[in-house]
Amino acid sequence: MKNRLKVLRAERDWSQADLADRLGVSRQSVNAIEKGRYDPSLPLAFSIAEIFELAIEQIFSRD
Amino acid sequence: MNADTAKPGKAAGFLGRGPLFWIGMTFGTSGAVVGLVLSGAIEGKATAFTLMIVPLACMAAAFMSMLNKNEAGTGDCVTKGQAQRNYIKRVAVLTSLYLASFAALTFLDRLGDLPYAVRLGVGVLPGLAVAGFFWAIGRLILEETDEFMRMLTIRQTLVASALAMSAASVWGMLESADLVPHIDAYWYAIIWFAGLALGSVVNRITYGTWGHV
Repeated sequence: MKNRLKVLRAERDWSQADLADRLGVSRQSVNAIEKGRYDPSLPLAFSIAEIFELAIEQIFSRD
Repeated sequence: MNADTAKPGKAAGFLGRGPLFWIGMTFGTSGAVVGLVLSGAIEGKATAFTLMIVPLACMAAAFMSMLNKNEAGTGDCVTKGQAQRNYIKRVAVLTSLYLASFAALTFLDRLGDLPYAVRLGVGVLPGLAVAGFFWAIGRLILEETDEFMRMLTIRQTLVASALAMSAASVWGMLESADLVPHIDAYWYAIIWFAGLALGSVVNRITYGTWGHV
């Protein structure tokens, strides 16, 4: 899957650690998701969407 | 500085060395001890047991190195969640139990003839301490709330299990055919722990981070 995490973070001036703290996960998790190495579970994807106040499909899309 | 790659300071690792060095040392020293045992250069279990403290110490150093790198923000190693802290405490207790029970076993072994019940009681303790490590890793997997880190730990245990079971299968068959000397079964647990280190390297290559264990 592709995602817009890096852009969305940059718009808010958040580091990966900032986003990780908000999600309650490790910075490594955010890095892996952002780089497309790891696809998050549905609950985690919903948490990400809630934090950015967007729909999941506005953040994640198929390759 | 880019927030994604911020690395404040070079100081990290353990004794000035990173995790890769210590993982390499774990493999190297384990291989050396196994080589010495198989070649017959070491006679007696007590010597082999004692020498295995070296790779165990290297593994502990690798773990410390990963933790220190994380503390310093210079690595992609581990997270500091409650599950991880619990795991470290459990491993510290179990390592102490293992060393103490092993020391007792070695000491009693030198005393000579002892009642069966005493030998059984003392002999089973180091094995139970090692079994405790498997329990600790199981608890880590259950308690970890970070799904990505949990996946990395599970991948490590799969690599470790594949390595240990493959070694047991191949060596067992060769032993049955009288092609190789007999080795005691506890070596497969040691191979399993080496497999955890190998799994950590696999995680680093495929996911860019070492994982927990």
